[in-house]
Amino acid sequence: MADMRNKLVSKMTWIQVLIVVGFCFLAAFLFNHNDALYSQPIFQVDQVTTGKTSKMTDEFQNVDHYHQQTLYGKITNGKYAGHKLVISNSYSDSHAMDHHYLKGQKLFITLHTSPKLHATVKDLKRDAPIAFLFALAISLLFVILKWKGVTVIASIVINTILFWIAIMIDHNNDGAAVILIFSILAVIFCFVTLLLVMGWRKKMLITLSAVLVATAATILITLLVFNVTHEKGVYYESMQYVTQLPKPLFIAEVLIGVLGAVMDEATDIIASLATLKAEKPELSHMQVFNSGRQIGKAIMGPLINVLFFIFMAETLPMTLLYLKNGNTWQYSFSMNMSLGMTSSLISGIGIVLTVILSSLFAGLWIKGDEH
Amino acid sequence: MGSITALGIVLLLLMIVVGGKQGITSFLSMVVNFGILFFSIVLIAFHMPPIIVTVVASVILLSITIFWSSASDNASTTAFQAACIILILLVAIIIPLEYWAQVGGFGLEDSEELEGLSIYVGIDFTKIAIATAILSSLGAIAEAAIAIASGLDEIITQHDKIRSEALFADGVFIGKQIIGTAVNTLFFGFFGSSMALFIWFYGLNYSFGEILNDKVFAAELIAIIISLIGVVLTIPITTWMMSLRLKKLQTKKESK
Repeated sequence: MADMRNKLVSKMTWIQVLIVVGFCFLAAFLFNHNDALYSQPIFQVDQVTTGKTSKMTDEFQNVDHYHQQTLYGKITNGKYAGHKLVISNSYSDSHAMDHHYLKGQKLFITLHTSPKLHATVKDLKRDAPIAFLFALAISLLFVILKWKGVTVIASIVINTILFWIAIMIDHNNDGAAVILIFSILAVIFCFVTLLLVMGWRKKMLITLSAVLVATAATILITLLVFNVTHEKGVYYESMQYVTQLPKPLFIAEVLIGVLGAVMDEATDIIASLATLKAEKPELSHMQVFNSGRQIGKAIMGPLINVLFFIFMAETLPMTLLYLKNGNTWQYSFSMNMSLGMTSSLISGIGIVLTVILSSLFAGLWIKGDEH
Repeated sequence: MGSITALGIVLLLLMIVVGGKQGITSFLSMVVNFGILFFSIVLIAFHMPPIIVTVVASVILLSITIFWSSASDNASTTAFQAACIILILLVAIIIPLEYWAQVGGFGLEDSEELEGLSIYVGIDFTKIAIATAILSSLGAIAEAAIAIASGLDEIITQHDKIRSEALFADGVFIGKQIIGTAVNTLFFGFFGSSMALFIWFYGLNYSFGEILNDKVFAAELIAIIISLIGVVLTIPITTWMMSLRLKKLQTKKESK
């Protein structure tokens, strides 16, 4: 009997794996053939010939090779669809700003009509791999979590829409009130997310207040420290893609960045404490507070590391480039990694404050009969 | 005193208040993780193979994050084994995907920052993009693996005769509870860290198609989705490792 059930289970799993793989490739296939949806001209590479290679050395003795290639193919969309074109391209071994194109790939091109139709390559069309990865993530969520997967995806979609709306409002204000806008967004984010996770009850209100007070306190502590140290070692000029005043933007970034972790933690601590108090109503305020601290102590370290890796990993390419351009370790760190480090530390402060505040609020406000 | 030092001291003090000795360990794990991360970058700059350096560094980073947490021995060993398996699976997904999407290096949005820098440094930036995606998922994998392994370990200590099939159901149950909030941690982290980029896209009126195919955006998106897949995979794999361990322990007991 058990053997039969095992066989059934493994058969199910194989069917599921096949469906997942099939779904991923289907998604990639569909996105690979959606050229008609783009207004930019797209070029499909049918044949590639490689040209000459030249060696080059920069002033820091970095050796690289520059390759020429000629791409033969046709335009697949727009009014020139079907036109055959020959485009030349060049790329380096490091591929920092260039691409080595291969047969079968699709590229976005810029068309020039005078004196006759010719083109230059703009960029690779990369929506198919993105679709493949999305399909993989969504199907894994469904296979492993079943219906819970739907709520997870729904909460991601809702939060993304809210985030995009905040970006729109921020832009329409020319970035004047960025901290205010994202603080309001943070409150809405927390309210919506906690409502989805816990439902409308006292426990949710306690969690909400712990999250909001902890986040606000974190920002205040940060501003205080910045004031005392005169922001020494904080290089706002190294922020990437900045189109508005960098300091408020940085604070807003950290505020939103730490929010998820703080909610995660507060939910965890307060839910456990509510269960504890329900089981042993005789526990005093202080005992509840201390149990909360015990739970928080265990989860704060790994949680800080989650944000640490997110904030630090993305600085890797630019730091590497600085090092290869003959800069010292210290300068490369300051110009690329110091802001990531600052964000990680601020997030850490937020995460630890949440332990204290969640335990405190739970100790004060949870009654024994609360479930 | 610089701001980073001051913030570090505030964090250390708060961690000691909350966690005592464990607080110091948690703080140290972050400092040591930073050291390893920076050292890996330096090794890559000296032309060591980037992917191998990253995988070796990742195993060390995972072991520090997991074994220096306060989880029990049984839970942290299981969490570490599971995290390593997930690391291998993620590497197997990331490598072909990054070559397919070619998101390595820098986008047009980076032009201003690249001014005055030589970008022909002879290191393949596609491999660097692979390294970045792997590294950014490590924290999330470690956290999820610790949470599930600790939960299961507690169940095993309370009912030591539990069957491994029942344990599997418990693992998925615990996983369902943590996944919602773990996903929030990840997505808000990424929303925060790429906020400036989103404002840039909106300000310069990028179309949906342009954003989706943009190199910088695609690189960030791949990193988030890879981490998400890592967290989701943690649920069955950690549970599976724990039930294997349980079976081994139970057969040992029976043979005695």
